[in-house]
Amino acid sequence: MTLHFLHRHVLEDHLAGFETRPNPNHVTVYRRPLILSVLAHAGQEAAVFAHLAGMPGMDVRVCGPGEWMIVSAAGSRRAEEVAEELGALGGASVIDQSDGKVLLSIGGPSVRKILAKCLAVDLHPDVFAEGQSANMLCCHVAANLARTGLEMFEITVPRSLAGSVFEELMEMGREFALTASFSGG
Amino acid sequence: MASLITCPHCGTRPKEEFAIRGDAEPRRPSAGDRDEAWLGYVYTRDNRKGRIHEYWHHAGGCRRWLVVERDNLTHAVYGVTDAAQFPKAEAAE
Repeated sequence: MTLHFLHRHVLEDHLAGFETRPNPNHVTVYRRPLILSVLAHAGQEAAVFAHLAGMPGMDVRVCGPGEWMIVSAAGSRRAEEVAEELGALGGASVIDQSDGKVLLSIGGPSVRKILAKCLAVDLHPDVFAEGQSANMLCCHVAANLARTGLEMFEITVPRSLAGSVFEELMEMGREFALTASFSGG
Repeated sequence: MASLITCPHCGTRPKEEFAIRGDAEPRRPSAGDRDEAWLGYVYTRDNRKGRIHEYWHHAGGCRRWLVVERDNLTHAVYGVTDAAQFPKAEAAE
């Protein structure tokens, strides 16, 4: 057998992954996002939501009536600092979930076709508009889905099930050449 | 089985997101009520055919208890309300 510098093992891509550069359909995994769960006390819902919506650099995700998740993909602030700010507000219970949740972003021209195989929810922009978010089952896992753009979604899943959700997302995206990487390379 | 439930908080969702507890009609007796009342409430439930009220838990979504009014024969869903609103509606009648 001759070995030369172009030699590649036949299983090279199977072991290292087929794509290194992002395709149009791409999953971004955020390394250290900031995720806090906020539950408003009875009667305080509107006041708490108004405060959350006004927080700079934090996105508000709707989980249910009087319940939100505040997310910062960049994780630029410290969780303790944010929890303290919200604790001082009164009227809300706050818990840091940054270590317990995984934040993924999926986007591309075929994103709705990929997600149609993972979710049983209508994602047409007329029904699920940009900026909207909700809890739903994603790949049989209770997750939070947010629409951050016309063809861009963010998924928050519990960390213990993130591996299974990620594998299924990639499997469903294979026909659309879905690639994945961590944010920032 | 009704396959699409319109949750008042989350919108139209598949039935897989829900857990069904059962009939929402029976009223819980008070703690000191007669044994017969408790026996009827706990064990001798009706298994009615047709239009029923049922407790559904939106386990995969907002995690709220809902009351779904549906027909268990035709699978038609007539209405979904949050369980917190349900007894109030009953009391108003």
